[in-house]
Amino acid sequence: MKINCELVKRILVRFIREELQKFGFYRGIIGLSGGLDSTVCCYLAKEALGEKNVFALILPYKDLNKKDVEDAKEIAEKLRISYKIIDISPMIDIYFEKYPTENKILIGNKMARERMSILYDFSARENALVIGTSNKSELLLGYGTIHGDLAWAINPLGDLYKTQIFQLAEHLGVPEKIIKKTPSAGLWEDQTDEGEIGITYSEIDEILYQLIDRRKPPQELISLGYEKKKIDRIVSLIRISQFKRKMPPIAKISIRTVGLDFLYSRDWYK
Amino acid sequence: MKVMVAQIAPKLGDIEKNFQIHLDILENARKDKTDLVVFPELSLTGYSLQDLIPEVAIQIENNHYFDELKKISKEISFIIGFVEEKEKGIFYNSAAFFNKGKIIHIHRKVFLPNYGIFEEARFFASGNKFEVVSTDLGNFGILICRDFLHFPTSYILFVGGAEIVVVVSNSPVRGISDKEYFESARFWECHGEDVARLLTSFVIYCNRVGFEEGLCFGGGSFICNPFGKLLRKADYVDEEIFTEEINLNEVRNARIVAPYKRDDSPELILKELKKILSAKEKE
Repeated sequence: MKINCELVKRILVRFIREELQKFGFYRGIIGLSGGLDSTVCCYLAKEALGEKNVFALILPYKDLNKKDVEDAKEIAEKLRISYKIIDISPMIDIYFEKYPTENKILIGNKMARERMSILYDFSARENALVIGTSNKSELLLGYGTIHGDLAWAINPLGDLYKTQIFQLAEHLGVPEKIIKKTPSAGLWEDQTDEGEIGITYSEIDEILYQLIDRRKPPQELISLGYEKKKIDRIVSLIRISQFKRKMPPIAKISIRTVGLDFLYSRDWYK
Repeated sequence: MKVMVAQIAPKLGDIEKNFQIHLDILENARKDKTDLVVFPELSLTGYSLQDLIPEVAIQIENNHYFDELKKISKEISFIIGFVEEKEKGIFYNSAAFFNKGKIIHIHRKVFLPNYGIFEEARFFASGNKFEVVSTDLGNFGILICRDFLHFPTSYILFVGGAEIVVVVSNSPVRGISDKEYFESARFWECHGEDVARLLTSFVIYCNRVGFEEGLCFGGGSFICNPFGKLLRKADYVDEEIFTEEINLNEVRNARIVAPYKRDDSPELILKELKKILSAKEKE
């Protein structure tokens, strides 16, 4: 699980710069929560695009995650990137006043999608592409909101496990208090990733690495001494979230169909 | 012989732009009295072509890019990668060797990778031979990327008299660790060093860099001498164009020190292969 952080940094910096420039963009916009992933993204984007070309949006809901908002401001100021704080409470509250619910997942998803909506609005205002921050652990477990935090123009972190992002963060000089934070989507009070999933990231990542990267079948992992309950939970999370990782299907009727056999890379003529 | 390895980042599907990149490099190389310039696999087109293949395919007769390249090759030799339409609607992943105003050799990729991130056999026809071409610069064999990883391919070139094995490649990085290289980069280097040492030949490996829809091509182009020594290696992430002087006397020297060529017995190997294959047929 150990990575050569300098090599990874160079590749991700080139990725951000090249993929943006191919599409005629020189600026990136990032939803900065004050957590680890979005902070690492800001560090990489600054290196790739320069401090003037990175725009951070800090999007709190009322006083939820007050400490994170302070940290996000501090990160943006430390990196000398421009930022804007927009409180999403009015938009969220007016909706749930009309359509009330006690289901915190519904509220959390709505908040994630509100943030996406603002990010994309500012993407056009600022002429900057949205840089996604979901990591490989989250993507594989489906730990993200479809059309919410899973919406982006490019994502430099999507092939790094959470434990690898900790290493990269240290290499990039991210402040220790950000690295030491308990990972959280911050969608409700006391929500933590590991609490919700029920397994620690170091265990999750080790199992995912064996299953996905090394292609070991679940049965083999169990015989190697991994806990069956945890393997089953992880395999089931991966399976039920496949829809979040694929473009939605289109019914094929014609000879050549978008998404099926109209096969051109995104980087066509770029 | 002065060899230039051009580790570039072609633009996907944009032949005009890529052609210009080739011209600029060739012009500098010519001024610098370089004898041979090696460009990566599919250097004129980029890699992830899919349905773009018919749009970028070249029929080598009466193609204005190739006509111009032939003219340039009166003064400098070079190997480029392109999509070849050999017959109507049949496309090959090909590499052309330009020398003395002509195309003296075309290698059509034989082993088309078709797994994981690769889907070449879905779009390309396979070549069916490995040939050595004799030139004023020496005896060359060309392999395209995956061809090289099937180890008998270099051996065929060795038996055919090759002194220089040129491998043109579009290898994306896979497998990060705490090492200074990707797993995917290391196996090219290991294999390159071994092939050079055991075939007592030069190995020139030219890979590309840059991204195509998330695929990161891993550079690391290199030249190994016939003693298996890595003479030069390019960066894993960025463009790099390097020139290295290679001396073909080294082939002779290496074959005196380590007479693998003298002691080789292709007849025996062929006999044994035939034996195995005929036994398999009977199964």
